[in-house]
Amino acid sequence: MLRIRNLKCFYGRIMAVKGVSLSVNPGEIICLIGANGAGKTTLLSAVCGLLTDWSGQIDFEKKSIKGLDPPAIVRAGISLVPEGRQIFAPLSVLDNLRLGAYTMYKKKAHAAIQQDLESVMELFPILRQRQRQPAGTLSGGEQQMLAIGRALMARPRLLLLDEHSMGLAPMVVEKILEVISLLRSRGLTIVLVEQNALAALEVSDRGYVFETGAVVLQGGAGELMADKDVKRAYLGKDYGDFYDAG
Amino acid sequence: MPDNPFFQLSTEEKQQVQLERLQSTLNRACRHVPFHANRLGVLGMEPSDISALADIARLPFMERADFSEHYPYDLFAVPLRDIVRIHTAPGTTRNPTVSGYTAQDLEHWRRIPGRALRTAGIGANDILQIALNPGLANWGRDYKDGAEAIGASVIPNTPLSVEKQLMVLRDYKTTVLITTPAMAGHLADYTAEKGIGPASLSLHTLVLCGEFIDPEFRNSIETRLHVRTWLHYGLSEIPGPAIAFECQAHGGLHIQEDHFLAEIIDPETREVLSPGSTGELVLTTLTTRAFPLIRFKTGDRARLLEDPCSCGSTLVRMKWDSERTDDIMNIDGVNVHGNQAGFHLKEMMGMDPRRISYRVAHQQGRKVLEVLMEMNDAIFSDEIKELEQLLRRSENRLRENLGVPVAIRLVESKG
Repeated sequence: MLRIRNLKCFYGRIMAVKGVSLSVNPGEIICLIGANGAGKTTLLSAVCGLLTDWSGQIDFEKKSIKGLDPPAIVRAGISLVPEGRQIFAPLSVLDNLRLGAYTMYKKKAHAAIQQDLESVMELFPILRQRQRQPAGTLSGGEQQMLAIGRALMARPRLLLLDEHSMGLAPMVVEKILEVISLLRSRGLTIVLVEQNALAALEVSDRGYVFETGAVVLQGGAGELMADKDVKRAYLGKDYGDFYDAG
Repeated sequence: MPDNPFFQLSTEEKQQVQLERLQSTLNRACRHVPFHANRLGVLGMEPSDISALADIARLPFMERADFSEHYPYDLFAVPLRDIVRIHTAPGTTRNPTVSGYTAQDLEHWRRIPGRALRTAGIGANDILQIALNPGLANWGRDYKDGAEAIGASVIPNTPLSVEKQLMVLRDYKTTVLITTPAMAGHLADYTAEKGIGPASLSLHTLVLCGEFIDPEFRNSIETRLHVRTWLHYGLSEIPGPAIAFECQAHGGLHIQEDHFLAEIIDPETREVLSPGSTGELVLTTLTTRAFPLIRFKTGDRARLLEDPCSCGSTLVRMKWDSERTDDIMNIDGVNVHGNQAGFHLKEMMGMDPRRISYRVAHQQGRKVLEVLMEMNDAIFSDEIKELEQLLRRSENRLRENLGVPVAIRLVESKG
């Protein structure tokens, strides 16, 4: 579904992603893990068209996205839930969600939008309760749900989530991961970017481990969770921990 | 062919997975092993320069001599604390080859032989006996692990005489035997000699590994033992068995391309040959963590068949050739290099390695390494007994180090 070959991303003269290849098959949840600054968010930015200074190949459903602007990429079926959520704080929850469907307003698909609003609020009932409130008054977890809901309003086939658990309570993170699994079971393909990988790997099928701009390991989620390098570097566990646990 | 999604991928999809794994293998190798980083550095290259599978041709080769030079641990790409198994195999010089495995590597080495055995129709109803030379001890372990993983009842590898092997084979009702072609031939001869008919054995499948088998010899084993045979290809020094295996079509050996990338090169010019040409097989590991190989020259001659196989798998096949591209001798599946024997003989008797030659000989139906030593004053002794003892001690030491039977013969000096 998404196929990346030798992606090199540049910020000026600095190469932040150094020749990464990865692939996402339909219906999969893929997790990108690695320390801060390893190039994961940069890669997502390139896929969404937010970063244009890149070389290599990014194909979505066998078509190159080179040269497409972000709205065109959203129309092609890719939505991003950005790091830090970036919701529109003064606007109401409902308006935030409607904004997510802006590509569909052009098509005058009002009935479809209404239907999508319903299904997002079914997914996150708390958003229905708070629909008239300014989004800025929501808790962190609610804002994250809103950001996901907003991304879903564009009816993506591929959903990219950047650091969805940052700053959230473990219970909220769990709730969000449940929704992610549910979305996948409804046919959505998902890429998760995470620094704290354990919870994300638990819902993922496969993962790629990033280190300073390059992929150093890939494999099944179970395989990566068991990997000592991954444990040490990205799950924040040290030797004592696994001896104690073992 | 077992139901593995990788086996059915289109060429394009397969190459994407291989490229991803090649790139991450290079990233790991260059970050953790100075040997790899320096070799790329000398060429002014970085791992990110490899942007397609074909770019691998720009990378330098690894040879058996590299293992001895970096003995024991310098080629490991993970810290020793992550290594859970250390394996030693005969090398090409005095130093043996040492390879390490992480827990994950061992998991792969269960899957790799496991799927090759499953393809041969082996499963939970089988009693599987392993009879390999001590020089192939690591294969014995990998086959044991792989066979257990697919539920077979395994009789692990134990060095037994052919008589005892046969006793186990008959009494334990073994259905599958993993062995080398030479040992299979020996077994066929022995059963015939003892008047044991194939009907008194439950054996129906032979997995042959370690050396090339000539089709005629293979036919004769199948007819004499009433078995079907399946040929596997592996590397005995490093990492293990069943890197390539036969499917039910028996039209060449499928390479396990999710774990290995294969190339064929001209052994003289070292250029990559076009598909379909015969040359030296070069392998790169794609999933190995502890002991990655990048463009390892195997010394085996083969040809890659890229046309689709009737079994439906898209894994590329190789036609294995009987000859080698180097001067390694294959004795019952174990690769032996004369140099290595030379080191020991020099140490024990002060022999000039130039005055020793080696060949593969047959003794009582078994292959042995025959060492032909030119007599000289240094080892000559009036006491025949002493000389005999020295020769026997040397044979024992070689056997211990090389993992194959050895016979030393003294020949007249050429002056």
